[in-house]
Amino acid sequence: MDEKTRTAAGIATGLQGLRYDDKRLGELAAEVAALNDAVRQAAAEWLTFDDDPFTFPSLLEREARK
Amino acid sequence: MRHEDLALADLSEIAEAIAARRVTSVAATEACLARIETWQPRTNAFLRLDTDKALAQAKAMDAELAAGIRRGPLHGVPMAHKDMYYRKGELSTGGSAIRRDWRAPVTATVLQKLDAAGVVELGFLNMAEFAAGPTGHNVHHGHCRNPWDDKRVTGGSSSGSGASVAARMVYGALGSDTGGSIRLPASACGVVGMKATYGRVSRAGALARSWSLDHVGPLTRTVRDNARLLSVIAGHDPQDSTTSEKPVPDYETLLDGGASGLRIGLALPADGTASLDAQVGAAVQAAADALGRLGARITLVTLPDFTALYRAAEVIVKCEAASMHRPWLEKTPDAYANQVRTRMEAGFFIPATQYIDALRLRGHFVKEFLATAMDGVDAVVLPAIPFPIPTIEETDVEAKGGPATLSMVGRFTGLTRPFNTLGVPALSVPCGFDSNGAPIGLQLVGRPFDEALLYRIGHAYQGVTEFHRRVPV
Repeated sequence: MDEKTRTAAGIATGLQGLRYDDKRLGELAAEVAALNDAVRQAAAEWLTFDDDPFTFPSLLEREARK
Repeated sequence: MRHEDLALADLSEIAEAIAARRVTSVAATEACLARIETWQPRTNAFLRLDTDKALAQAKAMDAELAAGIRRGPLHGVPMAHKDMYYRKGELSTGGSAIRRDWRAPVTATVLQKLDAAGVVELGFLNMAEFAAGPTGHNVHHGHCRNPWDDKRVTGGSSSGSGASVAARMVYGALGSDTGGSIRLPASACGVVGMKATYGRVSRAGALARSWSLDHVGPLTRTVRDNARLLSVIAGHDPQDSTTSEKPVPDYETLLDGGASGLRIGLALPADGTASLDAQVGAAVQAAADALGRLGARITLVTLPDFTALYRAAEVIVKCEAASMHRPWLEKTPDAYANQVRTRMEAGFFIPATQYIDALRLRGHFVKEFLATAMDGVDAVVLPAIPFPIPTIEETDVEAKGGPATLSMVGRFTGLTRPFNTLGVPALSVPCGFDSNGAPIGLQLVGRPFDEALLYRIGHAYQGVTEFHRRVPV
């Protein structure tokens, strides 16, 4: 079991109260790592301290054709 | 008119005929019921049909008209909806086994609006389990089948909505769209589907797939019909805090501006999230050429790299779905189809910071899209589904599985999911047929709240094409 799979196992049993077999934990660890890496890289490139997720609807209204 | 002819009329035509009392709502309803009798065994589009209730509603609508009362622009028009719109006290399965016997505690805002406009409700339609799946497969209620070829998928998750409108069983239907679930079945079944701007239509009383990405919208035979329906269901709703207070235009009155003078960007993606089949590309190019002949200025545009956006969308859907499904995932995991359950499980392992960052990124993705693909154009056109419609067997993840099947299913949403994350409006209209005889859909994307412009372009296009007039036989 690699480090990411062990981490997934710890989250499943230690934090979430869920049980998966080792094979499934390996799949989930790989899937989550890929998603996390993509979002983390995009966040590093784009996000600033003041980016507020709740401004999304108002952004759509602002960007509507005038 | 004969029953068969009545069922082939458009929603707008039948609504006007009923209003003018040339046709009764009962006759229109009976015409739909006759179509359903023929087409339901071939498509499995309906999960529940309530003939007696529909005919009673139709009689009541006719009686109101006789008394000089017309509730609205859909008075007496028979429709049916994806089985995820709640009606108080009635079954609402969400396409699942888990909610097979569940009765809704409230009525969805959009159904209340349709009731107020005078719609006759024929029943509720097949869908992917919990609105999770782009093909139309459903292991609990049976797969929905494409009216153009019953071996092929309908697209999903609003599978029954696409199939029932295409087969002229109903004049229009509600679907919902989290990653393409209105536009995919609209494209695959040869009908019109609108995913409006996020916040344009209330989600209250609609089963959620992902609160941040879900969009409620109509599927119809024509752009005009779709515009009429959206005008009825759109608008602010105190029950859904994400709805916009912007006034709702009467979209139907804005249809006739034509395409002349509009600047339209043509995006034909060559790689990335969705590589493009040649015949689909040719159909979309031909559609752009037709818009050019109508006076639109067509320019080639390049879509931004959607890879990060696509991953962010996956993070949002998985986290929100895992949260809402947790009690069932813990207690009755085997009650889900494998592929529905496994697609949610990663949500339990994604850190909250990643989920929040995915939400925070949306604004930047919108600005990037508007500053690149939408820069200097009024709308962008591109395919809805980048490849010919596959068979049910080819895409049966549950029965077949394997990397090739998973890859094909995953590619379905390559050109639709980005616009859920961006929240911008996107319309699919029929633009051709592939070599197997299955429909091809043209997707039109606009600035936030520019639904009227997309309808105007789509209506102009349907004025010079006949793809939407073809009926499966």
